[in-house]
Formats: sequence, structure tokens, C-alpha cells
Amino acid sequence: MAKVKNWQINREMEYPYEEHRPKKQWAIVFDLNKCIACQTCSIACKTTWTSGKGQEYMFWNNVETKPYGSYPLAYDLRVLEQLGAQEWEKQKPYQGKTIFEAAPPNERVVHFHPKDEDWMYPNIGEDDCTKNVPAGDHLELPHDKWFFYLPRTCAHCTYPACLSACPRKAIYKREEDGIVLIDQSRCKGYGECVRACPYKKSMYNPYTRVSEKCVGCYPAVEQGKQPMCVQNCIGKIRVMGFINPPWKAREDNPIDYLVHKKQIALPYYPQLGLEPNIYYVPPIHADRKYLRQMFGPHVDDAIERYKKLKEDTKTQGLLVLMGGTDKIMHSFKVNDRTAFGYDEKGEEVVSSPLVEPLIERPAFDTKVGAIRNNTP
Amino acid sequence: MKFLDRKLVIGLSVFYSLNVTAIVAPSVKGDLSKPSLDETIWATAKEETVTLMAQPMAIPRPAETATAQVKVKAVHNDSWIAFRLSWEDKEKSEAGKLGEFSDAVAVQFPVKDNKSPPPVFMGMKDNPVHIFHWRAQYQIDKEKGKREMKDIYPNMNPDMYPMEFKDEGHLTGLTDEKREIFSHGRAAGNPQSYAKAGVDEIFAEGFGTSSVIKNVEAVAHGEWQKSGWTVVISRPLVREEGSHLKVGEDTFVGFAVWQGGKDEVGSRKSVTMQWTPLSIAK
Ligand code: SF4
Ligand code: SF4
Ligand code: SF4
Repeated sequence: MAKVKNWQINREMEYPYEEHRPKKQWAIVFDLNKCIACQTCSIACKTTWTSGKGQEYMFWNNVETKPYGSYPLAYDLRVLEQLGAQEWEKQKPYQGKTIFEAAPPNERVVHFHPKDEDWMYPNIGEDDCTKNVPAGDHLELPHDKWFFYLPRTCAHCTYPACLSACPRKAIYKREEDGIVLIDQSRCKGYGECVRACPYKKSMYNPYTRVSEKCVGCYPAVEQGKQPMCVQNCIGKIRVMGFINPPWKAREDNPIDYLVHKKQIALPYYPQLGLEPNIYYVPPIHADRKYLRQMFGPHVDDAIERYKKLKEDTKTQGLLVLMGGTDKIMHSFKVNDRTAFGYDEKGEEVVSSPLVEPLIERPAFDTKVGAIRNNTP
Repeated sequence: MKFLDRKLVIGLSVFYSLNVTAIVAPSVKGDLSKPSLDETIWATAKEETVTLMAQPMAIPRPAETATAQVKVKAVHNDSWIAFRLSWEDKEKSEAGKLGEFSDAVAVQFPVKDNKSPPPVFMGMKDNPVHIFHWRAQYQIDKEKGKREMKDIYPNMNPDMYPMEFKDEGHLTGLTDEKREIFSHGRAAGNPQSYAKAGVDEIFAEGFGTSSVIKNVEAVAHGEWQKSGWTVVISRPLVREEGSHLKVGEDTFVGFAVWQGGKDEVGSRKSVTMQWTPLSIAK
């Protein structure tokens, strides 16, 4: 086992391979306060990548309602259960064990192995609230009854568990963009990646008898475009780009800004130790204890910062750029009225006003002789 | 961790060298190019019990030994050599569905030098081993053809698959090859994704390096009864690019068994901890 630096848990940890960060690292930021669970992302991925035989059950992108939804069934609870209770005091490095460190000597990671019935209910628990909402009820803040939507892709982890567990070394992490791929010609379908990935984003294809996973839409990424699940997001809650580790973070890089500078986007289940590269702006009204388990001890601070965005035009500007372009934004700039996004060459790919102009019109349209209504 | 493993292995091989069984393959009349469980072929061969242990080197490995021994008989007819392997396995596993694995067995031979073989753990760089790998799942391929999704999940009802239209008349130039683009493993030409001949022939130069040989000459057949499997793997004595065996000479073999029902696959297997001597009698 090598000692590697994991900035998400703020300490060194054990991993079977040496630390090797790619030139660029693929990453997505999701604003969970805006996801409407329309599943357009899931279908965008499905129609692009998984419409073939043996992929019927596969959703490389899925959206689950937390806390009751999950795909496959209770994957996160079962992994956390295997790992057992761990300590993480705020302001300190993670004191508990990662799934690599807690593994018995004959395994790479602590894991659970999903069976086929676990995969068969991709949308179980959808819209299930933690309590009933009786007639005449009203919500208070923070909500005592809550749920939120969690869209997920593969996290193209810096320390992938899938890669670490493959005895054939058929999984590799690309130098150019950090995308983690299963070599479709070398894989023998042992399914070790399916067992090992705590997020369960490696999946076995019973028709081709090899394992598959989200490919990060690498053909799009190679052309400077964002993945299909990002491009097609109806709620405009996502932005894909490249993240640097905190010691190389750039103020004008959209992902670095949200994760490292502004610190309003957090990795999920960072305590597992994979340094996953999908980041979430946490939902501000959900139960804090639950959110701490999912996003770590800094989630309260992230929520407080998010709540103050009204006073922060720069972050507001970046958030309105989300969903505004198919292209990958490498940098951004915001002035007092407009936000701009730029590609790798520094050419502008998108601009958006911080606030849409407000136009007031009289209720009666004299030109057509009809009353206007508010239907957009 | 690796260091500990090595120590364990050395310790175990010292222990094992005390009870190594030698397998003698007598010469028999009869066709061995068809796998046969027929007792008349096997009557003259002495059955040896070979001890197996949970694979100790590569992680992930089994927490405990699932198959402690395999009973082996061998016979030859001057051009083919056949092995009859039986082991206890109360649960028949043929894989297919998600998260299910197949029962399997493998026989391994040195390639370069029959007298001094490479490490028993699947050979080493520039000193390969030749493996004959039978799986219950591959046997179904051979007997019934490659399983379709309808065979694996009879109650599944997909709307349609890409480019599989009812009215193909309107569409010209739709080939199976074009459809295969939607089956990544097949499009990449992965042999795992195509029907198997019942047994795979494999070269390996250490763990995780195995690659299957295209023209399989070996044949195999297995039968499961309540107590376990009996599998016959038969191969030509001389395999052009692979291992060469000679009547009247001694060599070595290695064995491995997987119990699919215990989630064994790949490196999760029971193996021989050192080479077993094999005499091919005149
Ligand atoms: S498309 Fe966007 S808004 Fe819709 S479910 Fe997916 S992430 Fe949420
Ligand atoms: S999320 Fe899972 S499948 Fe994706 S890189 Fe990480 S460990 Fe591998
Ligand atoms: S990045 Fe591409 S492959 Fe991955 S989930 Fe999104 S659409 Fe699917």
C-alpha cells in the first residue's frame, strides 16, 4: 500500500497505487437546490450509451430521492454499515477509516455485493418525504419534513476503488482528463469493480459478460463539450469542467471557484476515501445530521455561504452561467451586470445577465383585445 | 502486505512439499478427442487427491478455502491426454444473472520447460503457462449457444433494441456488425462476449495477464450431481504454440477450482500451492 494525499479528508491515506494526479481532472458540480428530478439527464445518458442488450437495467446517470431512494437498493447505507461508525470532528482531518484502510487483508476495500434484485428498482422511493404532510400543514425552516433529489454519475475518482480492485488491471484513469474507463476488450467480467465501487457506478453487462461504467462522455469532452447528462439538464443545475487540487486552485476556474474558493460545493461521502470528483451544493432545507453524514462536517458552513449569495454577484454570475452552454468553461468572469464563460483558448463561449430584465405590461392587451395571463 | 503474503506462501509450500501426489496417466485405447465420463476409459487410471488452498497471492482473494481438494485421474492415447476432475460442490452455479458466478475448474501446464516450470501462480514474464479453463457457463454456450437476454431473464420486456426493427425491409445495410456497436464488449472484440467452446485455452505470464487463444483444440464436458462436479478436460499432447507433452516423460500440472455459489471468480479461487508431478506412462 502506498501513502497518498487525499485533500477531501485532509490527510494521507493508504491506496494500492502511488499518487498520480492526471493533467486535468474531469468534474461536475450539481446544485441540489435546483434539481427537479425530471430524469432528463438519466434519459440523455441512456439514449446515448446504454440502449443495448444487457444494459436494460443500467443508469450510468441516475437521480434518486434522498433519504429513501437509492440505486442499487440502499447502496450507500450498506457501504456505511460495512464500514461502521467513524469519527470526523470539524476542523480536523478525518479521524475514521476509509474503505481502503478498513479492508480485511484479503480484500481491497470493505464493500457489499449487489445482487440483481438490488438493481431492479432504479426509482424506488421517488418523492417519498420523511414525514406525512397533513392537510393545512405548513413548512418551517429548516424543514421538519424533507427530501431532496440526488443526481449521480460516476465520480471519476482520484483514487478509484473500481480500479484498485480489478485483478486484471483492465481499468485505467486517463492522463489527459482523469476519466476512469474499463477496457472493454480486456475486462473478463469478474465484477470486482461492481463489488468495490461504494457508489455502485460500475455495472455488469450480462449479455457481453463484461463490466461497464459511465465514460464521462469522453468523446464530447475531447471536443471541448460537456457530457450529455450536463448539456441536457433541464434545471440547469450542473456544470462540468476540470478541477485542480486545492494547492493549484485557480480563482477564475468555475469548478475550483465553487469547490475550493467559495467552498459551497462538496464531494459526497468523502470519508470513503476515493476523492470523488462530483461535487454538490447541498440542499439548504434538509436535515443537517443526514447532510453531515453524506457531505462531511463542512456542510453547515457551505449552506451558510450559499444562503448569503444575494450579496455575492460573482458567485451569482457563475451560477447563472450553469446550463448556458454546451462547451466546457475553463474560466469565467463577472462584472456588475453580466457573467462570461471562456473556453480553453480564452474565447468567450457564453454570457448571461445576472438578472433578467423585468418588463411590466398592462393586464389588457389592446392590440389583440384580450386579457393577458401569466402562463409562460 | 505483499511481504506477509510471500512469507505465508513459502511456509505453506514447505508444508505442502511433504504431501505432494504424483499423477500417472496410463495409456488407454479409445477416442479422447471427445470428452467422456465413461468408466471404461478411466478404469486403469489411479485417482489421486490433490490439495487446494484459497489463492493466497493476489488481492482480492477468498477469505477461506472453498474447495479443499480435487480428485484427479488422467489417461492418454498417444495423441490426446484427458483429465477427470471431481470436487465437492453442493450448489450448482452456472452464472448468467447479475451478481452470479459460474462453477469452474482449470488445469495448467508449463510452456517452455516441462522439467523446470515457472512459478505455479500463473507463470511469469517470458515464462508463460498454458491453461485449460472450463466453466459451467461456457458449457451452456457450447450446448445451447450464446445466451440471449430472454434466456437469462425470461420475464424481461424491453421495448426495442437499437436497429432491431420489425420492418427491416425499409432499412438497407443493417448488418449485425452495425448492431454490435451497441454491445460494447462485442464491438471491442472481447472473446468473453461471444459464445465459448465449453473450455478456454489461455496463456498467462503471471496474475492478471491471461489472454485466450483463438483456436481452441481442447474439449471438455462436465456433469453435476448432488455432491459436486465431475469434469473431463481433454487436450492434444502437442499444442502448436502452447505446451508440449511427450509420452514417457514427466512434467507438472497445476489446478484451480472456483465455486460460483460462493461468489468465486477470477482471483477468488482455490489453487494448488505448488506444481503436481505428472507422468505420461508409455
Ligand atoms: S436533468 Fe437536471 S434537473 Fe432534471 S433530474 Fe437531471 S440533474 Fe435534475
Ligand atoms: S465512482 Fe465508482 S466506478 Fe466511478 S471511478 Fe469512482 S470507484 Fe470507479
Ligand atoms: S457523463 Fe456521459 S456517460 Fe457519464 S453519466 Fe453523464 S451522459 Fe452518461
